[in-house]
Amino acid sequence: MSAGIISADGVTKVYGGGTRALDGVTIDIEEGEWTCIVGPSGSGKTTLLNILSCLDSPTDGEVIIDGATVTGLSQDELTTFRKQNIGLIFQQYHLVPYLTALENVMMAQYFHSIVDEEEAEDVLRGVGLGHRLQHLPSQLSGGEQQRVCIARALVNEPSILLADEPTGNLDQENGRKVLELIRSLQKEGRTIIMVTHNPEISRLGDRIIEIVDGKVRSDLRTREE
Amino acid sequence: MLLRILGKSLARRRGRIAFAVVSVVMGAAVITALFAVSMDVEDQVSAEFRKYGANLVVVPQSDTIEVGFPGVTFGSVTEQGYIEEEDVWRIMRISWRTNILGFAPFLYSVVRADSETASQDVVMAGTYFDKQVEIIDRYSPSDPEAITTGISVINPWWLSKGDWIGRSDDYKSALVGINVAEKMDLELGDTFSISYEPYGGGNETTCDVTVVGLVETGGYEDNQVLVNLQLAQDMTNKTGKVHTIQVSALCTGCPVDTFAEEIESEIDYVEARTVKQLVSAEMSMLTKFEGMMAMVTMVAMAASVLGVTTTMTTSVIERQKEIGLMKSVGANRRRISALFLSEAAVIGTIGGVIGFIVGVFLARYIGLSVFDTAVSTNIILLPMAIGISVAVAVAASIIPVRRAQAVEPAVVLRGE
Ligand SMILES: Nc1ncnc2c1ncn2[C@@H]1O[C@H](COP(=O)(O)OP(=O)(O)OP(=O)(O)O)[C@@H](O)[C@H]1O
Ligand SMILES: [Mg+2]
Repeated sequence: MSAGIISADGVTKVYGGGTRALDGVTIDIEEGEWTCIVGPSGSGKTTLLNILSCLDSPTDGEVIIDGATVTGLSQDELTTFRKQNIGLIFQQYHLVPYLTALENVMMAQYFHSIVDEEEAEDVLRGVGLGHRLQHLPSQLSGGEQQRVCIARALVNEPSILLADEPTGNLDQENGRKVLELIRSLQKEGRTIIMVTHNPEISRLGDRIIEIVDGKVRSDLRTREE
Repeated sequence: MLLRILGKSLARRRGRIAFAVVSVVMGAAVITALFAVSMDVEDQVSAEFRKYGANLVVVPQSDTIEVGFPGVTFGSVTEQGYIEEEDVWRIMRISWRTNILGFAPFLYSVVRADSETASQDVVMAGTYFDKQVEIIDRYSPSDPEAITTGISVINPWWLSKGDWIGRSDDYKSALVGINVAEKMDLELGDTFSISYEPYGGGNETTCDVTVVGLVETGGYEDNQVLVNLQLAQDMTNKTGKVHTIQVSALCTGCPVDTFAEEIESEIDYVEARTVKQLVSAEMSMLTKFEGMMAMVTMVAMAASVLGVTTTMTTSVIERQKEIGLMKSVGANRRRISALFLSEAAVIGTIGGVIGFIVGVFLARYIGLSVFDTAVSTNIILLPMAIGISVAVAVAASIIPVRRAQAVEPAVVLRGE
C-alpha cells in the first residue's frame, strides 16, 4: 500500500444491533487530494467518515493517518490526535447556540491550545463573516452558520478537512459559496474528504469513491493526470 | 473561555439552575442554622454556668452531697469527709492552670444567728474572699508564686451591697445573703452573733460579727452567712478542713473534663465534677436539638444531592450534542468534567451564600422559639456553608459527569 496521508485497510464496522455498516473498506488518500464519497442512503458514508475522523473506531481493520496508526487508541488519545490533525465540517453545523460566531470559533482554540481572539476573527473574515462576529447562530442564515462551522474547523490549522454533506442543508447559492471556500482550502494544500449525495458536486473533486452496502463499489479520478 | 462558556450556559438555563440552587440552599440553610444555634446556645449556656460562679466543684471522694450548689439538695454537712486546706492550692498545678481564673474553698456548718429582733438557724459558709495563696510550681519549687483568689475573684457579682471582707484574719465581719438579711432585719453595719453547738453536744462557741456586705446570687448563698474560712474552722473546731472547692475555669469549649481528671490526680482523695454534669438540663436539650437537627440536615443534604444530580443529569442529556461537538473539536474527558464540575461549583457557591443568609434567619427563629434567646450567627459559618455546598454540589455531579464523559460524539452528532 502506498503511503498516502490517510489509508484505511480492510475497515469493517459492525454496529451494536448487528448492522454491518462497513465491510472491508480499503482506500488510500493522497495528501492534498479532494476526495468525494458518494453512495445511496445508508450505505455507510457517514460511518466511514466518522472512522477516518477518529470520532469512532472500526470493529476490524486499520486506519493510518499521517503515518500514525490510530486504531486501538483510547478515546482521549483519539481526541488529542483529532484536534491536532483534523477539522470537521458538519451538515447540521453543530454550533453552540448560546455562543456568538466568534466564541464558537474561539471554543475550538480553547480546547486545542490557547485562545487568540484576533486570530479567530481573522479566520471568520477569511470565510466572509467579518461582519457577523457577534451574532448568535440563531441570528445567522444557514450558509453563514456553515461558514462559522468551517471557520471553526480551520482555526487550528488542520492538514485534513472532513466534511459530511456540507451543502446538504443549503440552497444552491449558499452551497456554491461553501464549495468555493472548500476549493480554496484545497488550493492551500489541505487534504479534503467530503461526503455528498449530489453527483454534480462530486465532480468538483479530484476523485470519487462510491460506497454501496459498506463496500467500495468504484474509485474514479475525475481528471486524467 | 471556560468562564465565558460557563457564564453563558448558566445564564441560558436560569430556571434549571435555580432549581439546583434552591436545593443546595435548603441544605446550606439547615447546616448554617444548626451550627449557629449550637455555637451560640453553647456560648450562652457556658456564660450561664459562669454566672453560677464555678464550673468545677471539688468534693471529697465518695461524698454524695454537693453543698450549696444550684439544682442540688442541701443535705447534712456534719458527717462527711473533708479536704485538707493545705492541699487546696494544688488545683493550680494542673497543666491547664492558665485557664483557671481562681478557686474558693468552702466549709459549711449550721449555726444559730441571733440579731436584736430574730433568732434563726442558718448555714455559715467559711471561705476565701480575697486571699493570697502560694503556688509551688512543679518545675521551680524554690520559687513559689503567689496568687490572689477567693469568691471576690471567681464570683465578683455575688456582692450586691457593701464590701468583701478584705483580710483573711478578720474575725469580726460577715457577709449575709439577702434572704437572711431580710428575715433577720440586718443592714450594713449591723452586728449580730453566731453560735455553733457541736453535733452530739459539747461547748458552744459564739462570735459577734458585723455585716459588711450583702450577697445576692439567686442561689443558696442568699440563705447563708459568709465568713472567713479560718473563723468558721475555729468556731467549729475543724482546723485546716474544707468541704468543697469551687473552681472557675475561663473556658468556652475547652476540655473541662480534662481539668477535672487532672485535679483528681493532683489531689488523690477528691472528686472533681464539672458543673456541666451538675447543671445538665440545658446541655441535654441542646444535645437533643443537635441530634434532631443532624437528622434534618441529613434529609436536607440528601435533597440537595438529589436536586443537583437531577439538574446536572438533565443538563448532560440536553447538552449531549454540545458535549459531542466539544469532544469533536478536541475536548478530552478532563475538559468536559471541568466544565460540568465548575458549573456545579457555581451552583454550590450561590446556594451556599443564599443558604447562609436563610440559615441566619432560621437560626434566629429557632433560637427564639426553642431556646428563648436571640441567636446571632457567626460570620465564620459563611465560608463553611459555601465549602459544604460546593462539596455537596460537586459530589452530586459525579455521576452526571461520568455520563458526560461517556458521550460518544459519533453517535450524538448524527443527523437530527
Ligand atoms: N449508531 C448506530 N447503531 C446502529 N446502526 C447504525 C448506527 N449508525 C448508523 N447505523 C446504520 O449503519 C448504516 C450506515 O449508516 P451511515 O450513516 O453510515 O449511512 P450514510 O451512507 O451516511 O447514509 P446517509 O446518506 O443517509 O447519510 C445504516 O444502515 C444505519 O442505519
Ligand atoms: Mg450520512
